Amino acid sequence: MIATPDLIESLAANMKPVRRLRPPVTRAACWLLLAALVVALLAVSQGVRPDLARRIHDPSFAAGMVGAILTGVLAAVAAFLVSLPDRSRLWLLLPAPAVVLWLTNIGYQCLGDWVSFGPHGVSIGEATRCLATLVLTSLPLSLAMLVMLRYAAPLRPTAVTCMGSLSVAAITATALSLFHSGDATLMIIMFNIGTAMMFVGLGGLFGRRMMQWIAPRPSIRE
Amino acid sequence: MTERNGRPPLLRLVGNEDAARAAPEPTIRDTDWAILMAHAQDGDRSAYQRLLREITPYLRSLAARRHRDPSDIEDAVQDILLTVHAIRHTFDPTRPFGPWLVTIANRRFIDRLRRQGRRRDRETPLTPEHETFSEPRANLEERPDRHELEQAIDELPPMQRKAVQLLKLNEMSLKEASSASGMSVASLKVNVHRAVKNLRKILGDRSEP
Repeated sequence: MIATPDLIESLAANMKPVRRLRPPVTRAACWLLLAALVVALLAVSQGVRPDLARRIHDPSFAAGMVGAILTGVLAAVAAFLVSLPDRSRLWLLLPAPAVVLWLTNIGYQCLGDWVSFGPHGVSIGEATRCLATLVLTSLPLSLAMLVMLRYAAPLRPTAVTCMGSLSVAAITATALSLFHSGDATLMIIMFNIGTAMMFVGLGGLFGRRMMQWIAPRPSIRE
Repeated sequence: MTERNGRPPLLRLVGNEDAARAAPEPTIRDTDWAILMAHAQDGDRSAYQRLLREITPYLRSLAARRHRDPSDIEDAVQDILLTVHAIRHTFDPTRPFGPWLVTIANRRFIDRLRRQGRRRDRETPLTPEHETFSEPRANLEERPDRHELEQAIDELPPMQRKAVQLLKLNEMSLKEASSASGMSVASLKVNVHRAVKNLRKILGDRSEP
């Protein structure tokens, strides 16, 4: 083991000037811009669902969409805030109201017309296209967030990845309901809650490991 | 009444002074450290060195609350210093330095304690008793044929018994055994050879009745 004064000597001797991080809200905004870009590109390539204009006037659909988007935005802001050591962990509660709005709306829709899901409600072709959207949206966003939040690895990896995953999940769910007319309620439930649970679960399980893999190595010789 | 009122504070004051002299409580010098860190982020080496030197006693006092072993404390302090170094760009000079440092320190302590807890669950430290009991002689009791072998050795003629005891059981060299018993090396060799032959016969006979 190296003696502490020697460690300080070598840390100071090998120090390089660093660029300070921009404010967390700015960085969250950058990430959200990327998310908007990804969703817009997907909209161009896959095309929005044909009945979007009609559905958007449906108050419960619109409320669900707003809830999902708000969840995405607020969870991203919370993730960037909590990743810093000197911010309170209470920021983790920031997206809670939006999550409640989003999920209760899905539940309400489900309760309203759960019978509308018939034996031919879900087709395989639609499901695979849904999966493609899911992967195409979530993968780049998750990777970008992982890289942007890598310095949180020695601090609060689990909380940060859970928040980041929630944000990715909400944005993915928004993209899914924009592009796919899987309005059979089971589909909505499956893809909304399913994606959310999947991402938050994956984040909780592997977040720590992923974070450690990408973490800035505390090296004495930089 | 005045005497009573007067004494306890006086005594307490003395006690406090003594305690303070014995273990000076390092304080957070928040503004200074924030300024030093801001300079360090811009690349000022001497400011960085001064900062790390000044926060070390403070970190050590924090670590002493969580760990008992002095080497653990020092390890924890170095862990925190390395983490501070790795993520020094996350410090915002417009915000206080103390909470930033304390959060990093606490997270490192918690990680460290968890790691130690996991290790304690899985591993058992090797004590002198463990080493003693792993010696074959300490475990002779557990071998099933120990008594049989002892009886067989007892049945041998005295010279052969002595040769076996010295050379095989005590693991002496021929020279040592010769000086210990007064028998010559050649006689020891012959006796041990015969003893082994006899033992083989006795034990073989017993195993096949």
